[in-house]
Amino acid sequence: MKKTTILDLVSRKLAPFMLLFGLYLLSYGHMSPGGGFQGGVVIASGVILLFVAQGVGTTASLFPFRTLSLVEAAAFLLLLAAGLAGLAAGAGFLGNPMAGVDVRAVPRVSMILVYNVLIGLKVGAGISFVCMYLFREGR
Amino acid sequence: MKSGHLLTVLEVALLLLTALFLLQALQGPHPESSDVRGYLVENGSHETGALNLVTAIYLGYRAFDTMGEIVVLLVAVTGVIYFAASRERKDEEDHDS
Repeated sequence: MKKTTILDLVSRKLAPFMLLFGLYLLSYGHMSPGGGFQGGVVIASGVILLFVAQGVGTTASLFPFRTLSLVEAAAFLLLLAAGLAGLAAGAGFLGNPMAGVDVRAVPRVSMILVYNVLIGLKVGAGISFVCMYLFREGR
Repeated sequence: MKSGHLLTVLEVALLLLTALFLLQALQGPHPESSDVRGYLVENGSHETGALNLVTAIYLGYRAFDTMGEIVVLLVAVTGVIYFAASRERKDEEDHDS
């Protein structure tokens, strides 16, 4: 398949901004429309644009399969740990351990921020992994 | 050719019917306020700290549901890797024999 200059150039200029926008959606999901799932999918779409235009081999040197699967698994385990932190604080599994703390000291929303970032990393890594794994050529 | 036309007409009719249903649903009275809805609108942002009520619900009150969705994604990724890898193994065996 012939690669056009437009695709090559646009993908390289656009992908960093898509990744950045995905991270923005993750970190502001508690204040504005967005959140973990949406931000993760935007990050994955940036990765998908990269490997559709530049090839899986080039993209895999930037986002190696091993790293993606590690991020996926680690984010899930951290999410479980965050849920258990709620249990340890007496708020129940996945409860908010900051509920008992003074709001002025630690914002109550920090737990949701942690969840959002972890979910976003996990969704982004997982969907990028699946798409790259299915698209890779020659094994 | 004839059946193709018939199919197109059916599809358009189905779409129009769907639009009609959606219009009815959107024009009808919105669900009357229940206790839960009133409580969430009143206390949701304060209790979880999230200004975005959707986030307040799916990561605050229904975090367990979100955990389930995460597990679904994890299982999906695992399944893709498993089936892709098993197909590769089969290919290699075919090459060997």
